[in-house]
Amino acid sequence: MIKKLTFLVLLVAAMGLATTLTVIGPWAGTEMDKFVPVLNEFTRQTGIDVEYKIYRAEDLMNVLPAQFLSKRAPGDVIFMWANFIREYGKKGHIIPLSDVIDSEEYLPGALDAVTADGELYGSAYTGKVKPGFWYRKSFFSEHGLKVPTSWDEFVALLEKLKNMPNLNAPIASGNGVGWPLSDVTEHFLATFGGPELTYDLIEGNILWDSHIVRNGLEKLASLISKGYFGEPTEWTMALQQWWAGDYALYFMGSWITGMVDDPNDLGVFALPGAKGVVFGADYAFVPKYTKYPDEAKRLIAWLCGREGQTVQVSQGGHVATVKGIDLANYPPVDREVAKIIQGVTALPDLDDTIGGEFQTTFWDQLKLLWVSPDRLDDVINVIQEKAPRR
Amino acid sequence: MSRKRGSKYAAFFLLPALIMLAVFVIYPVGRTAYISFFDENGTFVGLKNYSKVLTSREIIDLSGFSRGFPLGALVHNIIWVAIHLPLTIILGLSLAVLLKGVKGGSIIKSIVFLGMVMPMIIGGVMINFMFDRNLGVVNAFLGLFGFQAKSWTVYPDSALLSLIFGSVWLWTGFSVILYSAGLETIPKDYYEAAKLDGAGPWKTFTKITIPLLKPITVVVATMTLLWELKIFDIVYVTTAGGPGGASNVMALQMYIYAFRALDFNRAAVVAVILTLFTLLVSIPLVRSVRDDER
Amino acid sequence: MKIRRVALNIFAWTIALIWIVPFVGVFMTTLRPLDELIHGWWNFDSFHPTLENFASAWNHPTAALKKGMVNSLIVAIPGTLIPLMIATMAGYGFSRYRFPLRKSFFILVVITLALPQQTIAIPIFQLMNSLNLIDSYLGLILLHSAWGLPWITFFMRNFFTTIPVAAEEAARIDGANDIVIFFKIILPVALPAIGSACALQFTWVWSDFFLALILIYSPDKLLITQRVPLMRGVYNVDWGLLSAAAIIVMIVPILIYLLLQRYYIKGMVGWSLK
Repeated sequence: MIKKLTFLVLLVAAMGLATTLTVIGPWAGTEMDKFVPVLNEFTRQTGIDVEYKIYRAEDLMNVLPAQFLSKRAPGDVIFMWANFIREYGKKGHIIPLSDVIDSEEYLPGALDAVTADGELYGSAYTGKVKPGFWYRKSFFSEHGLKVPTSWDEFVALLEKLKNMPNLNAPIASGNGVGWPLSDVTEHFLATFGGPELTYDLIEGNILWDSHIVRNGLEKLASLISKGYFGEPTEWTMALQQWWAGDYALYFMGSWITGMVDDPNDLGVFALPGAKGVVFGADYAFVPKYTKYPDEAKRLIAWLCGREGQTVQVSQGGHVATVKGIDLANYPPVDREVAKIIQGVTALPDLDDTIGGEFQTTFWDQLKLLWVSPDRLDDVINVIQEKAPRR
Repeated sequence: MSRKRGSKYAAFFLLPALIMLAVFVIYPVGRTAYISFFDENGTFVGLKNYSKVLTSREIIDLSGFSRGFPLGALVHNIIWVAIHLPLTIILGLSLAVLLKGVKGGSIIKSIVFLGMVMPMIIGGVMINFMFDRNLGVVNAFLGLFGFQAKSWTVYPDSALLSLIFGSVWLWTGFSVILYSAGLETIPKDYYEAAKLDGAGPWKTFTKITIPLLKPITVVVATMTLLWELKIFDIVYVTTAGGPGGASNVMALQMYIYAFRALDFNRAAVVAVILTLFTLLVSIPLVRSVRDDER
Repeated sequence: MKIRRVALNIFAWTIALIWIVPFVGVFMTTLRPLDELIHGWWNFDSFHPTLENFASAWNHPTAALKKGMVNSLIVAIPGTLIPLMIATMAGYGFSRYRFPLRKSFFILVVITLALPQQTIAIPIFQLMNSLNLIDSYLGLILLHSAWGLPWITFFMRNFFTTIPVAAEEAARIDGANDIVIFFKIILPVALPAIGSACALQFTWVWSDFFLALILIYSPDKLLITQRVPLMRGVYNVDWGLLSAAAIIVMIVPILIYLLLQRYYIKGMVGWSLK
């Protein structure tokens, strides 16, 4: 009798000590509410408990280097910038995932950002698309405006908007760490230089001072000089102002659908002639110092595989990086966005992929360009200083 | 005015502090200085890192004097000190004197103290919004006088200045508090004697208050100076050093080296340069308060 | 004379009103929905104040400030009292005793003030790791105490140089030893300075984010300053919630400051050499 009881107690105790995996991600508030169901589904299917901790990428930058040097890690699956995953993968702090992730299953190029020296150090989760300039359909119909189909029509539209009395400026400029401005810039570069240009710049095959790059940048600078872009304002405030009618256009990513009262009033158009659209995926990795390497690898494979991503996109606001997910899984507004990337080349985000000092400098110089477009040459020189080189 | 020499009690008073400092402060600091002389592969390179850092555009950019900001992080810190230090001392002292004996003086002092207490994540946003063209009080105020509105933190030539003035709001509480404490300790006898001699308020202020507060002024000046050299949080959250590096400061550049470029050696160099600067300034200040001063 | 007094009061309060203006913007954000503020907070065309931001911040599901407040107090109170005690003694020691290398030690103390925290992040983490003090409040308290020592020592030492030694000499003649003198004579006189140093040190420990970030990461143990950024998502930022959280964080040091003000102002309003 005592033996049976002891055994029962030990069994119960062992269950209590069952593995709990920790996932670290940057999403909080409503974004977190959309992520947790995915983790719950994993637990439901496998019985492994998952705990979610919030750490923004900037904070992880402060925390992880020190932890890794002491052979510790704060989580088992961690979401982080792709360039960090590459760097620290090369330094040996990350478990390679080639045995659990099959790159064929993903959109072409989706896993390039986390591959270094032939090894796959991270995996791509869902992402956000940055399709172009968003407008309110009601605003356009109220003022008799039409979506431009050529560059000249686009400039004409901007001129018409500039002369409208109630607008601060035709296009709202978002300020913040810098990505609202770099997103627009990359769009111009890809449109006028072709989708290949993004890859060439990431590799360092082309100089920023070259004709093909200048083409896009000069067009952008000329629009800024003519006053078509507003002064950079904190981007969530700018969103409110744009929605309230202080601006007509706002270059944003697909997360905007979750940030407005009436997503059905949203319309979007890319720069006429654009053949590539930036698709910013979220990346995750498994640190070498996790206590449960096998379970962690299982979790990351599930999360970033078809099953996890399907659950995620059905929550809205995300687009899958893995192939073969039926469009029916998307809520209606996101379906439109998902369709957009099916027609053009999905490009990686330029500054996110290069990362490091380049990204900080790129963002910083663009903020300068936006208020002093006459300093374009200076800006190009400084960016080139920190750009990767072959 | 005699002094005890080498009393056995000296150890009692000083040892705990020195031990804690050695372990938690001096050791990490020493390590940092150490790695500034090596490169990323661990090879000793002497002063090469130093010349690399001091000649980089981010640290000193002399062409800025003709074209406009940025002038380099080092120059920016110097400008910061030149404007912020005198303002803090004068404002702090004036407010402390002004508020002594005013009804509800401690409430007013708490209002000034708000700046010290504000978490940077909100302090930075506050400064951005304060100077914004459409959302900001500063522009609304200047608009009353007919000034053209613009978002001050977004333009290279005004970004640093808006931060400096914002930081005055944030840091004055420090000097007010320390000066208030100093004022409380001046013996009433001195003031009474001065009144008997027929001295007016200004004379009392300049001949009694200011000299007696000198040791406090040294502390305020030193701490403020150090704070100005180390300034990071507020710049990081407000402009991240921009636009185009126009509001970059040494501590932020050090952060970028360490946590963005992942170059810990260059970051250590900046740290050492900052320390040397501090030494340059604080040693004379510290010496100026000689022990046989009353 | 009365007029001068009144004028002075008015002037002081005007300054206070001007000084608080930047803060009003923050306060407005906590009370009013964001779309009311896009043309400036002084615009009252539409005014729908609400306190729900404060409630959400206090009871937040993942980053409740009420727990954060308790945690931060656990760190901030010892982190203030320990360095205050040790540094006041050290400041006194530097100001009253002569011993070899005194000036150099003192300068060493001041140098340590010079370094930004970011540089020492990695050595500190490694040090704490080897002492097994990661994710523990004890480690954080020791660290804050150690880093509070330089400036408090510096301030107290300078402060002590303004106090004449006459009273101490008198007590010594009466037969009291140094330790008794320190606790019975010096400390009471030093109260204004100690009070000020206390308020400032508390504020700095309370407001610290960086050291807490490196050393504390169990969700339960997070300090209040670490919980505020957790309320913002990558793309979704609720400024009302964040501002309300910031104000809750700010209240504690202000209360401590007011408390200390009354305490030491009541006790000592100038003292005289008898």
